Amino acid sequence: MATHSVEVVYRGIFQKTLAKNITRGIVLAAVKQGKIGIAFGRYGDSPERNGIPAKNFAIVADNEEELQASMAQYEPKSVDLTVALDDTLCKGVESWAWYGLQPINRLTRPGGYLLVTTMLDFADLLQMAHAREQPYHLALVRGLPSFSGLWVYKDDHTDVRVLGAVSRLLPDLVSLEAVEAAIRQEWKSEQKVASARKAYERVEVMAVAPGVGDRRRPYEFELPRWWELREGVTIPAIVPGEAFPDPTTGAVGGWRPARNPYFKKFSTRTMRPVIDFEACIKCTLCWLQCPDSCFDVTPDGYYDANMEACCGCGVCEAVCPVDNCITMVNEAAFTNNDSQWAAWKRDREAYRAWVREKIQHRPERSHGFQQRGQYERQIREMAAAAVGGPAVRERTGG
Amino acid sequence: MAEAIATTPLPTLEPFKGVKKVPLGEYFTSGHRTCQGCESALVMRLMVKAAGPRTIVLGSTGCMYVANTTYYSTSWVVPWMHTQLGSSGSAGLGTAAALRALMRKGKLPTEPINVIAFCGDGGGADMGLSAISAALTHTEYNFLILLYDNESYANTDIQLSGLTPYGAHTTFSPPGTAKRILHQRWKKNVAGMLAAGHPSCRYVATVCASYAVEMMNRVRKALSIGGPTFIHSLDPCPKGWDYDPMLSHELGELAVECGIWPLYEVEDHKLKLYGRTKGIAQGRSKRRPVRDYLVRQGRFAHFTDDDIDYFQAKVDEMWERWIIPGVIPFASEITNGRSPD
Ligand SMILES: Cc1ncc(C[n+]2csc(CCOP(=O)(O)OP(=O)(O)O)c2C)c(N)n1
Ligand code: SF4
Ligand code: SF4
Ligand code: SF4
Repeated sequence: MATHSVEVVYRGIFQKTLAKNITRGIVLAAVKQGKIGIAFGRYGDSPERNGIPAKNFAIVADNEEELQASMAQYEPKSVDLTVALDDTLCKGVESWAWYGLQPINRLTRPGGYLLVTTMLDFADLLQMAHAREQPYHLALVRGLPSFSGLWVYKDDHTDVRVLGAVSRLLPDLVSLEAVEAAIRQEWKSEQKVASARKAYERVEVMAVAPGVGDRRRPYEFELPRWWELREGVTIPAIVPGEAFPDPTTGAVGGWRPARNPYFKKFSTRTMRPVIDFEACIKCTLCWLQCPDSCFDVTPDGYYDANMEACCGCGVCEAVCPVDNCITMVNEAAFTNNDSQWAAWKRDREAYRAWVREKIQHRPERSHGFQQRGQYERQIREMAAAAVGGPAVRERTGG
Repeated sequence: MAEAIATTPLPTLEPFKGVKKVPLGEYFTSGHRTCQGCESALVMRLMVKAAGPRTIVLGSTGCMYVANTTYYSTSWVVPWMHTQLGSSGSAGLGTAAALRALMRKGKLPTEPINVIAFCGDGGGADMGLSAISAALTHTEYNFLILLYDNESYANTDIQLSGLTPYGAHTTFSPPGTAKRILHQRWKKNVAGMLAAGHPSCRYVATVCASYAVEMMNRVRKALSIGGPTFIHSLDPCPKGWDYDPMLSHELGELAVECGIWPLYEVEDHKLKLYGRTKGIAQGRSKRRPVRDYLVRQGRFAHFTDDDIDYFQAKVDEMWERWIIPGVIPFASEITNGRSPD
């Protein structure tokens, strides 16, 4: 008698179909073994927004009674496996709707698994994921996190590779044979079966002891209770903001908009802008075109992307007229949200070295669809790199 | 007794002469839960930056309501109120009327307060159109209605609206094998229709936030000219249009450069093209092929070359035969070959 639950944490819209394929695939495979299950998305995560974390769940039970019992919960309070479809989600998850910041492994049961699709190493991921009081396992499926959009699906086999890894980590939930049978039924592709099997063989696992990981307390804040709201359920507006002092010269000027205390953009980013202030010609375009009002205009007239507000869209890099002045860098390369401008003011030499190091950072990220035909090309490139990637043959090769 | 006022006082909002003159203060700030690269969020920010702090904003249901004011959290610095999906016209008119009454009764000092009601394309071009049309006939009230057009009912996960372009993939028009192009209607011309149909409305314009200063100056003109006014903004939407969010700015520019989104204003019934559109109309720059715009968006990924050619032909027709697309015949027919100014 057993019930298993899996949560799949993903980047809203970009990985919507991927997450659905995985939770559906788990249930279909379980059904092949005579079990019963259900796959569903977290209600509060709809409507999804690009890049903002969201969750799908798969619950599998030995019989209907057990399944019903677990479905009586709004959503699982603890899961056997957490799947993070983008490694930067390891920094924490705050969904579209209100849930506050959650460590990625918050629901992972003691001894359970956190499975991440990533090119990073265990050590890098543990620097991001919050430390726990209970032991758990960290597992890796090698590959670039797969991003696509709402209509065009990038079928790079990430779905079946995760399914193969799930059968390795939780053999009591589904066997590899059941996963293969489900893939044959659902996708009718022997290549996808081969990808699942390869992931089954190659998944890497590490036991994580209590206290290992990012030991900082996850940031937290409280919403007003309904009875604390003012008459007419009014919500206080944000205050406008103000000029602020330069840490080195003490000169006061510029403008720093006040920011919403209840929703920070830390967890929505997969990339962030790195700014070379020495290359900046103060053209204002990044500030003008940023949809998230991120840029603090500094007392000396520079534009400092404030990491409380930045969702990592990349518009600032796209509009900046100077080469390499703004570079979007994988969010995994950062351990804090401090002001880049303040760091530059403090020590220009050190900042220069920091920028050089950051903009070299790999793996590079992309946010999905840019041009027709792009995914077909990328999938071939990924296959060529062959780190557990899809076994896609060149079309011309038959 | 306070003296009766005919209408509320108008603000003086001179155009910003260049980007360095744009004020630093933000009245729509961070904390919204819009998508990465949401151009509509940028429109909100620029719209209220142009209007300044003495502004009331009324928001019709849609992404810009839901994602901007979720779970007790707001990104507005100025007063903001939610209004029903089809009611931006009534809300703008009612708020302007209320302000006038309060000023007449001496309960508020008589001073300029901007009223802006915004709506999405679903709320503005479909169900809210009649209320907007009615509002534009009430010349004694000062307010602006801004339609932010992401070309779908985006908040409820991308359903087709009257402003969805030909052939686009939406949840209501998925391309299939039997029928590749499910959505065959051409986009309505809301700004042209409202300009032509409301002779007492003094200002109607189209804008695009990729041209931020020009856009803000249209908002400033609309708010200071008096009476009810209307602005239609084309907003690239990374979720519904399915593209990498970093392309938002570029897609806005492409929509204008390809001639799909002509920039114009109708001020006191005089039509003026402006910005890139004016340059194209006067032959100073060339229209780019619509292909450049279409291939960057997943919602057109199913288009064949024939579909792209058809789209191009329709846009060409618009340029060759119409000034205000679908409303006023092309310049050569009424100005003897002079291109419009
Ligand atoms: C009368 C009414 N019908 C339906 C809805 C559900 N609804 C909420 S947002 C929305 C979409 C609005 O689309 P649009 O006006 O284009 O704005 P967008 O979401 O694209 O920003 C709908 C249909 C509603 N709130 N009210
Ligand atoms: S990536 Fe740039 S444009 Fe986008 S939210 Fe961050 S600072 Fe603003
Ligand atoms: S866009 Fe680039 S050059 Fe212009 S102000 Fe911003 S950082 Fe400086
Ligand atoms: S769906 Fe479109 S309009 Fe709505 S928040 Fe996302 S990008 Fe903005």
